[in-house]
Amino acid sequence: MTPAEEKIRLTLEPLARAPIPDDADASLFELGVLDSFGLMDAVARLEEAFGAKVPDADLTPRRFETLAKIEAYFTAHAA
Amino acid sequence: MAHLAGLGHALPERVVPSSELAALLGVTEEWILGACGIRERRWISEGETAVPLAEHAARRALTRAHLVPSQLGAIVVGTGSAPRTFPGVSADLQRLLGAPGIPAFDVPLASVGGLFALALAVDLCARTGPVLAAGAEEMSRVLLRAPLEKETAILFGDGAGACVVAPGDGPIAVVDVRLGSDGTFADALALSPDGPLVMDGRTVILQASRKLPAAIRSVLEPQGLSPADVDLYVLHQANLNLLRGVARSLGIGEERLFVNVDRVGNTSAASVLVALSEASEQGLLRPGARVVLAAFGAGFSWGAALLHVAG
Repeated sequence: MTPAEEKIRLTLEPLARAPIPDDADASLFELGVLDSFGLMDAVARLEEAFGAKVPDADLTPRRFETLAKIEAYFTAHAA
Repeated sequence: MAHLAGLGHALPERVVPSSELAALLGVTEEWILGACGIRERRWISEGETAVPLAEHAARRALTRAHLVPSQLGAIVVGTGSAPRTFPGVSADLQRLLGAPGIPAFDVPLASVGGLFALALAVDLCARTGPVLAAGAEEMSRVLLRAPLEKETAILFGDGAGACVVAPGDGPIAVVDVRLGSDGTFADALALSPDGPLVMDGRTVILQASRKLPAAIRSVLEPQGLSPADVDLYVLHQANLNLLRGVARSLGIGEERLFVNVDRVGNTSAASVLVALSEASEQGLLRPGARVVLAAFGAGFSWGAALLHVAG
């Protein structure tokens, strides 16, 4: 596990409504980890954790559907 | 700029508790409460429409403005569930009010329609005289089309809200209004004629949670105000969880939020005007109060208005 994925798991843990999957490519939505409002809060916390503001145009669920996608996004956009 | 001279609202008599919907949708009442905070909503009965509600709301607003329909200069109605593609609800409302000859038109932006109607009225009234801005919805008729989707069926209620917007100074000054739209998201919240309501809930929530606080700040900052300087927030009553998220984002306490979504549900275009009318009836528009309206809806479109109640 990369340091970025570990940070993401720690950030999402308080918001998770189901166990966070080991598979980084599993859908957090289909597994019930994040509902709509959990996703809203998750993005805010991830922005803080990575020091990166997600522009409105990037604010779509598919970018944050899996741990791998979250890591790819914030690794590319981290301050 | 302009002022709000009178407010009114009307809701259907039929109360639909979440326990009734839970049985229909195969979910628990607790699930509905957790998902949206709505305990009950009002739905029109079979054969009814939202037009009589709009008329009732409009007549109350006119009475409170000490005006009669013939003194109106225009009618603007926000809606998302009009039974006809054209003409809109505004035509029926104009006919019922008996105010022919003035422009009457709809703003089909669903949940933000009432706020856009108010914003248009603010600009229009300087040329036409008092403008009736309304929001009227019969979302239950849309929701009950197959397939019945639990994520949307739990949210919406029917109702109508109205306000008379008049030029110059008055008891509730409209200090500023800011609007925005982004057609990139046109397919994320949409309704085709006779089609089911399409709502990508995650995208709606993500965007609304960002756009609503930004719109609110956009009317406050030019006045040198911060969110803490606002006495009452009357937001589109989309979902209790979203309202709380906006409060967190603004750094304000939830006691500053006007909330009726638990009792009337999300009445879409009518929502912010119903809420403002209820807030007024409850004596919450106190002398000197700064009040912010904000809404988010189809397009996506969003906006906010800053009001100042005369001291």
